[in-house]
Amino acid sequence: MTILYDEGQQAIATESRRVLEARVGKDALLPLLEIVGEYHRPFWDTAREQGWTALALPEADGGLGLGLIELGLIAHQAGRSISGAPFLTTSFGAAKAVELFGSEAQKSRWLPGLASGETIGAIAFAAGADALPHQPDVTITSDRLNGTARGVSAGLAADVAVVFANGPGMPVLALVDLAKARRTAVPSFDNSRLIADLDFTGTPAETLAVGSAAREAALHILALQAVVTAHEQTGGAEVLMEIARDYALTRRAFGQPIGAFQSVKHRIAELYGLVELARANCIHAAAREGAADFITAAAAARLSATEAYDTAARDCIQIHGGIGVTWEIGLHLHMRRARSLAIEQGSSLFWEDILVDRLAGEAA
Amino acid sequence: MSDLDAYRAKAAAWLQSMAPTFGREARKGLSEADDLALGRGYQKAKFDAGYAGINWPTEYGGQGLGHLEKVTFDAEEMKHGFPSFYFGISLGMPVPVLMQFGSDKDFVKERVLKALQGEEIWCQLFSEPSGGSDLAGLRTKAEPDGNGWKINGQKVWTSWAHYSDYGVIVVRTDPNVPKHKGLTYFWVDMKAPGVTVRPIKLAGGDSHVNEVFFDDVKITDDHRMSPVGGGFAVAIATLMIERYVATDSAGFGPHLDLFVELAKDIRLNGRPAIEDGRIRQQIARNHAMRSGLDSINVRARLMMQAGMMPGPEGSLNKLVAVRSRQKLSELAIDLQGSDGFLFDEHASQKEDWASSWINAPTGRIAGGSDETLLNTIAEKVLGLPQDHRPDKGIPFNQIPA
Repeated sequence: MTILYDEGQQAIATESRRVLEARVGKDALLPLLEIVGEYHRPFWDTAREQGWTALALPEADGGLGLGLIELGLIAHQAGRSISGAPFLTTSFGAAKAVELFGSEAQKSRWLPGLASGETIGAIAFAAGADALPHQPDVTITSDRLNGTARGVSAGLAADVAVVFANGPGMPVLALVDLAKARRTAVPSFDNSRLIADLDFTGTPAETLAVGSAAREAALHILALQAVVTAHEQTGGAEVLMEIARDYALTRRAFGQPIGAFQSVKHRIAELYGLVELARANCIHAAAREGAADFITAAAAARLSATEAYDTAARDCIQIHGGIGVTWEIGLHLHMRRARSLAIEQGSSLFWEDILVDRLAGEAA
Repeated sequence: MSDLDAYRAKAAAWLQSMAPTFGREARKGLSEADDLALGRGYQKAKFDAGYAGINWPTEYGGQGLGHLEKVTFDAEEMKHGFPSFYFGISLGMPVPVLMQFGSDKDFVKERVLKALQGEEIWCQLFSEPSGGSDLAGLRTKAEPDGNGWKINGQKVWTSWAHYSDYGVIVVRTDPNVPKHKGLTYFWVDMKAPGVTVRPIKLAGGDSHVNEVFFDDVKITDDHRMSPVGGGFAVAIATLMIERYVATDSAGFGPHLDLFVELAKDIRLNGRPAIEDGRIRQQIARNHAMRSGLDSINVRARLMMQAGMMPGPEGSLNKLVAVRSRQKLSELAIDLQGSDGFLFDEHASQKEDWASSWINAPTGRIAGGSDETLLNTIAEKVLGLPQDHRPDKGIPFNQIPA
């Protein structure tokens, strides 16, 4: 069952958009592309000051007690403005793992900091194409991690990570303080994602879940993050559609606005369709948190949002012609972000399998 | 349980009870004439049970309920394969427009009651050989004739004209003004002298659309449903009536579950096709698309329930659903390989992939082609400019042919 946003939710959308549009712009984001290890601090300061870091966490743990619907609305606006750091999603994922699967001690140690944004969290599940590998690269024995988690978003800044590790004969979901882990920056096409390889050499870690429960828990965390990311992707796709539309109205060729040519206007109308399908799937998925079909709904949101953002980035640049490929106009910020968000939390290939396993009744 | 849920439950139970008499199984093997007769019986049963004209005024025999109840009923009804399509156009557009614009109220009431009970069928005479999307470019003309009018010309793609008792028609009454301004809207008796209906056999083998010829067809002025020269506005009103109909994210083709079942049954490279990545990707993509449309439709219903106007995203339904149904049907035939040749022209396009495939092009053209729908989204929703229109503002008879 999908929902209509209530007044409070609409206010969250309006206010977060106002704040972000006032404080975040491409001029601040462009230089970050060429610096490894830096993110847009005003963005994160804003997120903390506005309480977005606490939004979807329980009040008992220093959160505001709202949920995926509200965080999704923030993420949508962040996607429109191109968020300057990945922490809204990564810290949320880590916090949910602690909240849902952690002990009281773990909660009181980590959640208040994650809720205030002082602590930054990361999720390290993937091994290359495998978003939730059957043989994770990182192993855990006697509460110690060994091995390398590759390409972890927020890895350069995170204080704590949730790792999907290979335990003795079964997977383990583990919580690790990153103070003692070695981080190697991964130079990326989207450097403000702070991608790092995390090297563990006997690093102490705590267990959150083991065996099939660990896999299920990890998938649940991925799905929660995927819904947030899908909102962010949809926001990015939406703003690109608007940019394309505005440009097609003003740019003239052959004596008329280029938006009067069907090759251009139909391209933009198709983007509208992709954006609205993604938005509809996002709203539905956010409202299904806790329901039996949540994973299916999250997968649908993720797939349609990835398609919408990639296509919008591609087509918006195409509609701009030569100016679209310049550094200065900054459309490539979206093109880069569309791809980095497409990989984080599992690519479309991963979610297609997750979805079909469920539709065909093959999922565990 | 909300009122609407209660309404749905009651309707579903009634529909279930009708299924053995009028449903999919009961229709198997019937000739079209027998199927139509069954359809008339079903329509009468709906009327008697209070499910005809659900959102129409009670003074015309309707139930006086809202759009939501209508859409709710339609969604339930769609599951059973009842022979209701003969009345889809009739009760969808011409008859509601007659209620709105017909001048002789007693006549209108009589017609509406007969239409609601399946006794009479109305058709909509809009498209012409020279243009379907360009409605205002139509050429069929009505000239003053005594106290009335004389119609000459040709209409085409007229659904169910061969079974129709009446039709609504847009014709040109003044060729000396720009095309939108010279049109007038009438109703006509389809049995009148000079009206000739010729069924057109479509690619899939069925013949529910027709050519309709008008040769000196004389009508009195009380057939007029718009001011002289004001027909275009009524034509647009006709097309707007059914903006929020029950939609089908399967594009009126088979449900995705049927494709999943097929992929589980069929072996490809020695293993179930459901394990093949190419097949899996299409299932996933189609599911994501359909679930998005479903969510859009549920939201539209919630907005109507809350007394709000649904958003323009509802216009995506036909565009997105039908063309993806077309591709999925092709893939389903691929999947069956040499078993995929089998074709039963009487099979339901909601259940049979070949039937869905061969009829899909019609779905992408009828009721607004993909291109027209994209133009509408671009212009009305996104505010992009109209196409270059060399005929704009020019008197109709001076437009270069």
